[in-house]
Parts: sequence; C-alpha cells; structure tokens
Amino acid sequence: MCTQHRKSFLISIAACFILAGSAFGQGELRFCLRSEPKTFEPLKVEDEASATIRYLTGGVLVRMNRQTQALEPELAQSWKVSKDGKQIIFKLRSGISFSDGTPFSAEDVAYTVQQLMDPALHSPTGDAFRSGPGNVETKIISPTQISITFPAPVAGLDHQFDQVAIMSAHSPKKEMAVLGPFMVDDYKPGASLLLKRNPNYWKTDEQGRHLPYIDSIRLDIQPNRDVEMLRFKRNELDLINTLDSEYFDKLGAISPQLVHDAGPSLDSEQMWFNEVAKSPLPAYKKAWFRSEAFRRAISEAINREDLSRVVFRGHAQPAVGPVSPANKFWFNAKLKPESYSPDTALKALQAEGFRMENGTLKDKDGNAVVFSIITNSGNKYRERMATMIQDDLQKIGVHVNVVTLDFPSLIERMTQSFDYEAILLGLTNVGLDPNEQMNVWLSSSDNHQWNPSEKAPETAWEAEIDKLMREQASSADPKKRKEAFDRVQEIVFEEAPFIYLVNRNALSAVAANVQGASPVILVPQTYWNVERISLK
Amino acid sequence: MLRGVIAKRIAQLGIVRHGLALIATVLLGGLLSAVLVRFAPGFDSDEQELDLHLNSQSIQALRQARLDQHNIFHFYLHSLNRAAHGDLGTSISLGQPVTTLLRQRIPLTVRLVGLGLATAWLLALGLALSAAWIRIAAYDALNTFLSGIFLCLPAAVLALLSVLWRVPAALVIASIVFPQLYRYARNLLAQGYASPHIITARAKGIAELRILFWHVIPVAAPELLAVAGISVSLAVGTAIPVEALCGLAGIGHLAWQAALARDLPLLMNITILVTLVTLLANSTADVIGKALRGHEA
Repeated sequence: MCTQHRKSFLISIAACFILAGSAFGQGELRFCLRSEPKTFEPLKVEDEASATIRYLTGGVLVRMNRQTQALEPELAQSWKVSKDGKQIIFKLRSGISFSDGTPFSAEDVAYTVQQLMDPALHSPTGDAFRSGPGNVETKIISPTQISITFPAPVAGLDHQFDQVAIMSAHSPKKEMAVLGPFMVDDYKPGASLLLKRNPNYWKTDEQGRHLPYIDSIRLDIQPNRDVEMLRFKRNELDLINTLDSEYFDKLGAISPQLVHDAGPSLDSEQMWFNEVAKSPLPAYKKAWFRSEAFRRAISEAINREDLSRVVFRGHAQPAVGPVSPANKFWFNAKLKPESYSPDTALKALQAEGFRMENGTLKDKDGNAVVFSIITNSGNKYRERMATMIQDDLQKIGVHVNVVTLDFPSLIERMTQSFDYEAILLGLTNVGLDPNEQMNVWLSSSDNHQWNPSEKAPETAWEAEIDKLMREQASSADPKKRKEAFDRVQEIVFEEAPFIYLVNRNALSAVAANVQGASPVILVPQTYWNVERISLK
Repeated sequence: MLRGVIAKRIAQLGIVRHGLALIATVLLGGLLSAVLVRFAPGFDSDEQELDLHLNSQSIQALRQARLDQHNIFHFYLHSLNRAAHGDLGTSISLGQPVTTLLRQRIPLTVRLVGLGLATAWLLALGLALSAAWIRIAAYDALNTFLSGIFLCLPAAVLALLSVLWRVPAALVIASIVFPQLYRYARNLLAQGYASPHIITARAKGIAELRILFWHVIPVAAPELLAVAGISVSLAVGTAIPVEALCGLAGIGHLAWQAALARDLPLLMNITILVTLVTLLANSTADVIGKALRGHEA
C-alpha cells in the first residue's frame, strides 16, 4: 500500500514537472526578418534585422520597458547621471557570465564603450553619444562599478544605453559571447537564423524559474510580406511584428483574436518641399516652396482624416508634428492636427498674390502652380496617399504629378542632386527622446531634409530651432528640455517645413499558441518581453 | 604522333577559339555590367544615409566608400587584378566578402537549376518522343496546348503559385524551360521520323526502338545539344525571379538584392559568373555537337 502511495506520489511529481515543462521551457518561437542581418557585431548595427538579433541576444546595462516607457535596471543594478549630464556611474550585478562562461565585469563595459566610441567605427549607436569633440573616459572603480565620462553633456544619457549590448573584453568567441536571453546557434545565410536559449542567462521569474521560457527562436529571412502572411496563416509562423492595415483587416476578419492594434505608433508619414537654394528648380518654384504661407496652405488643403480612413482603413491617426501622441512625455498636447480647409487655404494663397484662373492656381507672375510629389515605388500606401493628395490639391487649383522611384534613385535626388519638388516619405522613430531627431532639426545636419547642410541657418525660425535643440540637448533637467522641445514642435507646426500627414498604428499578429505576448507601439512590438513569452 | 592528332582535333573543334571568345565575352560582360550599375540612377546613394543617428562624419565616410568606384575603368582593372589573387572584393550592401557570399549561395542555385533542368528535359523529351511515336493528332495537340500555357505564364506568377501551393521551386524552373524544349524537340523528332529512310525502315518492319536510337536520335543530337546549352542560360535567368519571389537564398536572390542596392562589386561578380556558366554551357554544347557531326561524317 505504502509502495503504491509512493509510486502515485512520484508519478504525480513527474507529471507536474512534465506539465511545467510544457508550459515553460519548451518550444520554438518562429517569426520573420524582413532582410538579411548585415552584422552580428552589436556595436555596428545599422539595419533592422541586425537590431532584432541585438535585442534578442545582447545584454544591456539598462532597458526601457516598452510598455511603461520607463527605464529599468538590467546588468546594472543602479546608475547615477551627473547634474551636468556628462558622467554616468553604473553599479553592476555580480556573478553574471557570458554565454560561453566568461565572467562579466566592469572591464567588459569599459571595453564596449571604448569600442563603441571609436570614430573609425562610424556606428549609429556610437554617434548618438557624440555630442561634442573629445574622448570618452572610462574609469573602473571596482569590478562591479564603473564611471563613464563624456566630453560634452549627452541628453537622456541613461536611455541611450538601452541600445548598447555589452561585449566581452576577454572571450575568444568575441561578439558571439552574449549576455542576453538567446545566442546565435545556427545561421544559414540568406535563409534563416536559429537562436538558442543562453544557458548562462542571469534572470529568473517571480517563481525562481530561469528565463527565457522558450528554448529557441527561428528567424526566417523573408522580405516578401505576402509570403510572410501566407506562412502565418498556415501556422508556420508565430508572430508578425508589423502588419499592414490591409492584412490586418483580412486576418482580423478570419480570427480577430490574432490581430492587435496598439494605437498610433511613433512613426509618421510626411511630405516636404525642396527648399535647397542650389537645387536645379526654377526660381519661381523655389519662391513658392520657401514661402511659409504656401506650405501652410498646402498643409491645410490636405484631408488627413480621409488619408487615415481610406488609405490605412482607419488604422492611422492624423499627425500633428514630429512627435507622435504615443510619445506621452515629449508630445506637445497643445497642438492639434491641421484642420482640413481648402477654402482657408485658397484665401491664404490669394493673400500671397496667387489667383485662380479657369480652375488653375497661378502665382503673381502667371505661372501655373504645378509640382510633382516623389515617393518610393512599391509602397502602395504612399502611392495611394500621394494620389489622394493630388485630388485634394486639385480642389484649390494646384496640379500635382505623382512620381514613384526606386529607393536608391529617390535618396540620390533627396541627398545629392536635389532634383525634386516634393517628397512623400515616412520617418521611423525608434526612440522616444528628442535627441533621436537631432540630426533632422539642426540646420547644419545632412538629414535636415528640406534644406540639408546649411552653413548658417537660412531663416530665423531655423536658427531658433537650432538654439532650442542645443539647449535641450545640453540640459539634464527634463522640465527645461520639455519646454524647449515643445517650442520646437510649435515652430515646426507654424512653419511646416515637413507637412505631417498621419501616424500609422502599430499593428501586429500573434498566433494563438503564443502566451505572454503583449504587443506595444515601441519596437520590437510583439517580442519586447521575449524572455517571458511561452508557447502552448 | 598522338599529340599531333589531339592538336589537330582541338584545332578542328575550335576549342582554342571558343576559349578565347569565352574569356573576351566574360570580361566584356563584366565591364558592361559594371558600367550599367555605375551609371544607374541612385548609384551614389546609400539608404543608410537616412539613419538619424549618423553624424556628418559618418555620412561622409559612407559617401567616401563609393568614391573609389567612380572611375569605372580604374575600378574594373583594379577588381580584375584583385580577382587574379583570389579576392573578389566586399559587398557594399551586405558588408561581406563577395567570395564568401558566392560560396554560400552557389550550392542552392546549382541544385535548383540542376533539378529544374533535369525535370524539364525529362518532361520535354518524354512528351516529344511519345508524340512522335504515337502520332495521334489529339495527343499532339494536347501536348502543344499544355506547353503553350506554360509558355504564356510569367516566371513571377509561377513562382508565387509555387509558394501558395507549396510546390518545389525547381518545378517552376522546369515549367519555364520545358515548353521551349518540348517544342524544339518535338519538331526535330517529327522531322526525323518524316525523313524517307525512316519511313522505309518502318515499312520494312524494323523495331521502333532501333529506329529511334540508331536513326532518329543521332540525327537530332547535335541540334538537341545546342538547345541544351541554351536551356542552361534560360534556367539560370529564371532562377533570379524564382529565388527572389520564393525567398530562396541562392545566386538569383543575391543578384536581386545587389541590383536593388546598386552593389557594384557584388553585381559585377555575379554577372561574370552567370556569363561564364552560360557561355561554358553553350560552348561545350557547341564543341560536342561539332565532334558528333565530325564523327558522323
């Protein structure tokens, strides 16, 4: 009898372990990368696919919680930023090892920072820290404490470390020794990538179970979105990180529980006019495009509600400015999207000397207002938006030609030949901090797209934006920074160098067998909490 | 004595001439592709320039990296010199040595093209032989109709259907190559069977297999060999859209990526490779064809 009881007890225990094992610690999560990762070296990451690998394999000192948008400790137990915003001191966790067993210490952090800040590396992650000339100093206070001093204040300094995956100073495996939840196990170039659970990952859940729950992640390289959708429907994939609105509705009609609309994302769609003085455009067109009244009138004549409703099937919101309402702290809530008013737009243009003749708007010299909007071919949403804008502007007598070009040709016109009149493109915002957009707003920057690399600000409002952006970047006081950036948003709204159109919603799909996924607006939308995702 | 015979035979078959023509064409093909990419719109741009994190120095460094490709003749000669030492340069868009990329992707394309070609030839010869043998008008019309349908379908449509119906991509290549082969083979065999000596042989009751292997195939073989050379070019050309649309990591997929990114070193080397393969196939078919004709004579 006693033996029978013991047997039953042992069987029950075994069953519990099997059940626990089936809920946690088993299975393979599958999703697609849209392109081949260019590198596995976390400091050299510049493309989306490599950033995904970095997120899944890299261990960081601090991590921004994609749901609460708050910074949380990871490899660093705590940290302190100096008042002048130049120095940060990290207190590190002890007893942590890289995936190959090499112990982690402050020496690895110093090594990573020195590598990252090497000017010859031309790392986008490193460039984000480069706020002034001079060298970065790292001082190892103890094996678990390090101070990093930058030559000039770096705004949002602690937040920047969310992107810095720590590398081992001593491991012979170099970048393949990682501190994140997964490590690269197998790579089939151009086809797929297999990530395996890092056996030395330091985190545990509230019940003391080792994270991550899943054993492996299979990333198939699949640029074709139709094929990705097809495979998701066949249960060959578990996640689609960013879903088009068309697919969202199609999939939602079949299984509404699989699709998730997290609301407006940080990304915006916008158009702008060529304001480059040396561009090969006729002088009268340059005069239109450099006129604030002309740009505002065009902006007012575009029906953003229709763009959201028709092009994005309601999965987008009219945009206000450079910051999406999804960015809770930095968004200037006083601003509202430009209201659609073709009559007001026409009146404003007439006040500037434009006149309507037989349904065509002409400037004071009799030139018909005609311009072309270029967008990238193959992007059906932008092509549709451009066509709708064409219709809207026809109502005020402005004739628009829509031209689609492949991306390299478009970039060449935009950044080198300046042979364009207006461009419609999108801006992908990965981070929340305004410093992420520093290179857009500074008039001297190459990415100041309507008029790049100005030797000195060509307008008073650009000079004011330069001043405000530098002020907010050099301040460690969030309130002061917010005030300065609010004013930047107001100026951008008033002057309309970019005509913001819509903020697309963050749409994603999660298969029914995936547990613990909670899609958010920030990248990576569906797997931001990958270590806590499990499979049924 | 033997050496003299071999040298005479080589001269007869024009192997040296073929070899020289092949080298010249490959070099010219490489140069032409390099010129095309160099003067394509968007050659000087890099998508990475739009990365908002990059400062001016990094953007300038990106532009500088393309500067050494501006003088295309200098770049081409430099590339040939490096290639002679086993270095094919580095891909701009993928950041990896071209040699590594080619080594990783060639096996898949070889498998895909090989399987596709084998299936296409089996299908085409099988149907052509059976049509020539059976000689029923309805059967012939059905085969012609079937091959006509495949002839009309673009490679991209077939590739997408293969993804949808989970059909192996090699079958897409076979579907593109088969109709061309079938029509040519059918006409050749029909012509062969219509020749007076075959009609006489059939009338005398000689076995069909003997007629086929002794009288029909040997006559059609040189022409079929020429088609074999062309079918290789056709299959390699089809592999590009098929691999790109089916997401298969072969040379075709790589060529597509390189073209979109204006990746001069990668695209130039792929063009040279593809030109070399197709020319080799055609020249080999040509030489064997000549040898067969010589043997018959």
